[in-house]
Amino acid sequence: MRSAKPLTTIGVLAVSALLLSGCSGTAETPTATDVDLRMTVWTSNEDQLAMFDSIADEYMADHPEVASVTFDPLPFEDYTTTLTTQVAGGKAPDLAWILENAAPDFVASGALAPIQETLENTKGYEFDDLNEAATALWKADGELVAYPFSTSPFVMFANDDLLKAAGQPTAAELQAQGKWNWEGVSEVGAAVNAATGKAGFVIRDFDYTTWDNLASVWMGWGAAPWSEDGASCTFDSPEMADAFAFLHDAAFVKKSMPGPGTTADFFAGDAAFTVTQISRASLLPDAGFAFDLAPLPEGPEGSYSMVGQAGIGVMAQGENTQVAAEFLAFFSNPENSEKLAQYFPPARDSQLNVDTLAAANPVLTAEQIENVVVPGIATGVVRPGHTDSAEIGQKVRAALDAIWTPDADIPAVLSSVCKAVDPLLEK
Amino acid sequence: MTTTTSTRPDRAAARSGRVSPDPALRKRRPLSYRQRDQIAGYIFVAPQVLGILAFVLIPLGLIGYFSVHEWNVLAGSFTFVGAENFERLFTDPELVPVLQATGVFSVGLVVFNLVLALLLAVMLNRKARAMTFYRTLFFSPVVVSLVAWTIVWGFLLQDDGGINGILQLVGIEGPNWLREGPTAMASVIIVQVFKNVGLNMVLFLAALQGVPQEIQEAARVDGANARTLFTRITVPLISPTILLTFIITIVGSLQVFAQVAVLTQGGPGISTTVLVYYLYQQAFLFGRFGYGSVLAIVLFAIVLILTVVQWQLRKKWVFYEN
Amino acid sequence: MRTDAIAPDVSVAGSQPEPDRHLPPRAGRQQKPKTLKQVIFYGVLSVLAIPFVFPTWWMITSSFKPINEIFSFPPTLWPANPTLEGYAEAFAVQPFGLQYFNSLYIAVIVTVGTMFVSSLAGYAFARIRFRGQNLLFMVVLVGLLIPSEVTIVPLFQIFNQLGMVNTHWPLILVSTFGAPSVLATFIMRQFFISLPGELEEAARLDGLGRFAIWWKIAMPLAKSALAAVAIFTFLHVWNLYLEPTVYLLSPDLFTLPQALTRYVDAYGGQMWNVQLAAATMTALPVLIVFVVAQKQFVEGLAQSGLKG
Repeated sequence: MRSAKPLTTIGVLAVSALLLSGCSGTAETPTATDVDLRMTVWTSNEDQLAMFDSIADEYMADHPEVASVTFDPLPFEDYTTTLTTQVAGGKAPDLAWILENAAPDFVASGALAPIQETLENTKGYEFDDLNEAATALWKADGELVAYPFSTSPFVMFANDDLLKAAGQPTAAELQAQGKWNWEGVSEVGAAVNAATGKAGFVIRDFDYTTWDNLASVWMGWGAAPWSEDGASCTFDSPEMADAFAFLHDAAFVKKSMPGPGTTADFFAGDAAFTVTQISRASLLPDAGFAFDLAPLPEGPEGSYSMVGQAGIGVMAQGENTQVAAEFLAFFSNPENSEKLAQYFPPARDSQLNVDTLAAANPVLTAEQIENVVVPGIATGVVRPGHTDSAEIGQKVRAALDAIWTPDADIPAVLSSVCKAVDPLLEK
Repeated sequence: MTTTTSTRPDRAAARSGRVSPDPALRKRRPLSYRQRDQIAGYIFVAPQVLGILAFVLIPLGLIGYFSVHEWNVLAGSFTFVGAENFERLFTDPELVPVLQATGVFSVGLVVFNLVLALLLAVMLNRKARAMTFYRTLFFSPVVVSLVAWTIVWGFLLQDDGGINGILQLVGIEGPNWLREGPTAMASVIIVQVFKNVGLNMVLFLAALQGVPQEIQEAARVDGANARTLFTRITVPLISPTILLTFIITIVGSLQVFAQVAVLTQGGPGISTTVLVYYLYQQAFLFGRFGYGSVLAIVLFAIVLILTVVQWQLRKKWVFYEN
Repeated sequence: MRTDAIAPDVSVAGSQPEPDRHLPPRAGRQQKPKTLKQVIFYGVLSVLAIPFVFPTWWMITSSFKPINEIFSFPPTLWPANPTLEGYAEAFAVQPFGLQYFNSLYIAVIVTVGTMFVSSLAGYAFARIRFRGQNLLFMVVLVGLLIPSEVTIVPLFQIFNQLGMVNTHWPLILVSTFGAPSVLATFIMRQFFISLPGELEEAARLDGLGRFAIWWKIAMPLAKSALAAVAIFTFLHVWNLYLEPTVYLLSPDLFTLPQALTRYVDAYGGQMWNVQLAAATMTALPVLIVFVVAQKQFVEGLAQSGLKG
């Protein structure tokens, strides 16, 4: 044991010295050559990666200082953790996709380099074309630090075949009858479940753990998890209680929503309705049933829409922030934004039209795009985010679990949620 | 290295001493052996000892260092925070439930595992061809990849999964196993027991087969029935194995991670959040490396206490040791 | 809990012939209860075996089912419409072949490495007298008592500084030389302690050095202990989950357990059939090796120094 002590000291010294040197940052070299850029992404879709590569090739042809651009797919499930670990290990990518729930952490910490100046000064970029609402999440001190490359509205998909089989009105008929609201959907869903044993409506990827996906429901009740400034919890508001009462009733009484621990995959034909992002439409050609697309049903507070967002940022701890910002300016210019629109609904006002989006989503009809997608993007609200999102997410999940039992005391659980997260929000 | 030759002038004598069968001659040059053995000993244990230094003792020391710092990865800052992380430990409302969950898991696992292992071993301890077959069945989960095993149980334990399907066939409405606190904990324990009980079973089997037939016969002649035979003769005789499996199982129980991560992610609520999972969450998911280090100290303290307790048990409880 | 279920089986055996049996022949009378008990005994064993066997069975068969059949309720025992879709997808979604190779080569390197490290150290602690021996053995035993989870945070930071995060080095180095190898050293020491000293004495008189004695005399005798160490180590490394989760970031470097939990589509939705196919491919080969060599497997473990 005696010999361990000096070694420990050496270990500490070595590690701390390395840590200190790691913090000193890297000097910017304005005339960088042979730059290898790396962008972390969470898609491993080959068509999408091929498109990125073709954009990069085009850029490199005109920019000899960039030797290569690598798109590095990381698993979606722990994308943010993995990215953070790379940053911790001094292996920050030059550019990174950022999930909207991680946006506050990345924006507030200074992990992202400012890009606004570069974008504004790039010829033909048309910076002012970027949608105001879409960029709100990605600004630090009023300056843009990430480009919102995907603004994808949440919509309701319906399995018309299943609805017909259950003797229920289709989504279009429900809308025509003026019954396109959550109560109506829940009733039809309950009838489908009773008639066929399949699920009524599914909030995709909620799975009774990823609770922030429920924002697509509670927004209809005018509820929010915390105040605008993020400082105080509003889970215990009456609106939230009503929204959760609806969900609880759907899961345990009406059985219009599959209960906890039950899996129903809409795209495998196991559910009548599902709420998810429009980008999922790409799964539909394989589904093998007649489907329809509708805006989110109305809540007691009327109609509303929600969008999911993702940004591309330049990592401040990367080695070539300026070169990376210039590449981003090319990657997201009007021309490339239109190409990307095939998979990622753009945040440019001039491209939020039926023509561009119809070209991007061949599965959908022009009417569906005009009635659902365009208004969804234009009026969609991003679900509220917060710094320390991982810890808040976990705390809320843990406290909220108590609500998913048949005889839960909803207001009591919701106030316990607030009790659990208040210390984190106040920080 | 081990053949370093001595430089003494009386080398020839030493060599002749080495090959001489006469012990008296060897005793005259004990130092040369000792020295060589000393060097050989150090070289032999060096990889292991240095490994333990580098990967156990130094990190153990560093935990103390990290526990008084906070590392903000995104901002790129590493700052001294003093006792802040320790203060947090005492105000953390989740610490007590986490320690409780850890305790319940360990006790439940050890008890259920050892009892089932002993039961199976006793049942299989007879001479029949079929016993090998059953032994293979009970042991097979040990070699199935842990995560694969856990994923499959995760399917089966869903509300509409295989377990409840089977229960329904016999008219029982099964609980929603992974969604209710007590059954979720029970599920994590049971899945782990079925996975590894075969190992302890095999160790018990070997121990049972080592119990001398004569002793059992003698006891039977003295009128002992099966139960007294088992509790008074067999159990004491295999007590070293029981203690060994107890130690292995309880230390192993503190390391449970994959099962929790795959089956319940610590839920519902935090009812299955055991200490190691909590540590992982704090350090690697929430980026609180400092607090994670404090939790590691807590885990270390628990292991230390257990070790002392086991030491005491060993003295008192084990019937004999060879 | 159910010890009394078998206790009667042993105690009652042969003592009480059932009174209300009308079968006259004596031979039949004596055999009947015995066979009945046999039937009950094997019945109980078979029921007990269900939770050990059914999950594996279900995993293998379900990996050939289309996704809607996986969730059919109650579960089917045999795929009605067998498909290999899950298997094809498993390789398409992730570099599964590469991940398989990663797991395999890491496990082999660590297993062989551990056999060397632990047999050397175990031999020295058992057979060689050197100064500080007991102290060093205590130091090593610390590794047995401290779960590697305790040191994961500082280890991560050390490897991070060494630029070894997102490489296989942490997995290989820590498993071979660190805490996980201590159990192996312990097993080897227990084995070598029981070796008769005369063999070494004779070898020494033949002029063999320590290294040669270890390699030529001790190791060939230690086959069963080495087998136990190999099995333990292989299974341990094959199952590692926390460490790869912490150290490895890119899918090309993932090991199997880690890969298994990441069969999700681009939005985080679970791909059940693919996951089951991958799980089957992970579990089946080891299972087959085990069934073929189960005698050596089980007895090797049982006869290792673990007997205490």
